[in-house]
Amino acid sequence: MKNLSYKEKFVQMNREARVICIVTAVIIAFWWLTAFGINEYITLFYLPLWLIVSCIGTYVLAVVLLIFAIKKFFVDFSLDEDAPEKEQNSK
Amino acid sequence: MNFAILIPASIFFALLLTIGFYLKNRERHNRSVDFSKEYFIGGRRLNGFVLAMSLVAGYSSVSSFVGGPGIAWQVGFAWVLFASVQIVAAYLILGLLGKKMAVIARKIDAITIIDLIRFRYNSNLLANLCALVILIFFITRMIAQFIGGAQIFAAVTGMNYTTGLLFFAVVVVVYTSIGGFNTVAITDTLCAIMMLIGMAFLTYTIFDRGHGLAAIMQTIHNVSGTAGNAEMFSPTAGGKIPVPLLISQWILCGIGTVGLPQSAVRCISYKDTRSVHRAMIIGTIVCGAMMIGMPLLGVLAHGVITEPLSEIGKTTDAIIPMLIAGYMNPWLAGITIIGPLAATLSTISSLLITGSSAVVKDIYLFYAKDKDSAKSQKNISRISMTVTAVMGMIPVILAISPPDVIVWINLFAFGGLETAFFWILLFGFFWHKANSQGAVLSLVGGLAAYCVTMALGIKIASFHNIVIGIGTGLILFILGSLLTKEPTDKVKRIFFPELY
Repeated sequence: MKNLSYKEKFVQMNREARVICIVTAVIIAFWWLTAFGINEYITLFYLPLWLIVSCIGTYVLAVVLLIFAIKKFFVDFSLDEDAPEKEQNSK
Repeated sequence: MNFAILIPASIFFALLLTIGFYLKNRERHNRSVDFSKEYFIGGRRLNGFVLAMSLVAGYSSVSSFVGGPGIAWQVGFAWVLFASVQIVAAYLILGLLGKKMAVIARKIDAITIIDLIRFRYNSNLLANLCALVILIFFITRMIAQFIGGAQIFAAVTGMNYTTGLLFFAVVVVVYTSIGGFNTVAITDTLCAIMMLIGMAFLTYTIFDRGHGLAAIMQTIHNVSGTAGNAEMFSPTAGGKIPVPLLISQWILCGIGTVGLPQSAVRCISYKDTRSVHRAMIIGTIVCGAMMIGMPLLGVLAHGVITEPLSEIGKTTDAIIPMLIAGYMNPWLAGITIIGPLAATLSTISSLLITGSSAVVKDIYLFYAKDKDSAKSQKNISRISMTVTAVMGMIPVILAISPPDVIVWINLFAFGGLETAFFWILLFGFFWHKANSQGAVLSLVGGLAAYCVTMALGIKIASFHNIVIGIGTGLILFILGSLLTKEPTDKVKRIFFPELY
């Protein structure tokens, strides 16, 4: 767990929100591309291929991306306690 | 009527009630110290698993379990695609707002979403408007859930509609009003588990009775494109679900879900950052399984239920009850029926506790004079439970013979809540210039634009009206905020410390 000041928490949370936006953008792009970019008549295990890739594929992609994003970019910190501000308020 | 089919559901209901009374007793001490915090957000103790399950269970309603799959039966795989956008519904709100809401709620001791909104925008007018919107739409949504739950209960058990309604309505109202938020979260978790079990049994039944995937798909091939059925293999159902509608769906059931207050309240009730990280992953796994799994099962049910719609009562809502009642042995059916009922119960309990907090905490306690004495903790407790119970009973009574106007308002409820809260929440936490004038304009104007165009049937191409509502709300919010004064330093230091 990282010891962050109130201000640092917000800098970190804004970064995390940006990561979530990127993850969502990738998910949406993948969904549209696979739903309409695959020939309707190709099948796999009797099911339409577009369905497998766009629905189940997006589902798997979302979970994998989230696990990766959270491991890599999300930080654990205390929700209650704030570390003292490191620098003097400059304004 | 077959009684065996009722036994599993009765045991499940008894379990939910027991949890309510047990948790009430266990929280006795905490409730005597700070009743509202304990009763309305469970003392901020949810762990990752319960957070995820209760978020998903509260979100997935009777239409995800019965209505949607029924339409999928008729429309085909396009409906699976249509529903699959909900994959973002679990993680997006937690990822974007989850931590900020948790940090700030602790800082200013906020118990409700409206507490946060009131502080952020420093406006009682806005807070009252928000409470009003929650009240109207939550009650109509609860009525719709009661109706849907009672209908499926009646269809499967052969019980009369009103008896079935009262049977499970009493259960959910009692355990929610007695047990408060923690009970809602724990019972929601059980409900989510029963939904998954029900799905597994439905899958087994469909594959067993349909003689395997190959045979099922052959049947679907044969009916695809015939009278009464769409092009079942096309991603747009042969144009029945046009691209603009798919884009709208991404707003209505995808990104817009960030604006649902009953989901947002979970952001201020979990324990620590680890919980919210875990909940994003678990929630997405469970949400995806349900939101993609159920409509997919609906399509595959075509391998079992091959009669044309005109022969099965003309409504696709009958598909899932038919599968349960007609193709399962009574015990399996008895357990599976808990799935859709659980979807109903968990949605109602979530709406009820959040709705009640709006009345008690945001209206009554805010305007009451004496708040602190130990005596008034007891008072708050009595009032909170009474309000919750009454708020639960009103929709039950209305659901017995629902007035048309309620059914009509419910069409607006989901999108209306999103139109009202989406920008208020998002800008509230991410745009320091957003102020009360912008927020009030956006709420009133966006909601008006949404409801009026819905009611008059005005459309832009084949976009859903949510696009008009959210779009109008956005423009009004930005204009209103830029033309008037920025929020005060006091607010900005708490919501945007990174600026200083």
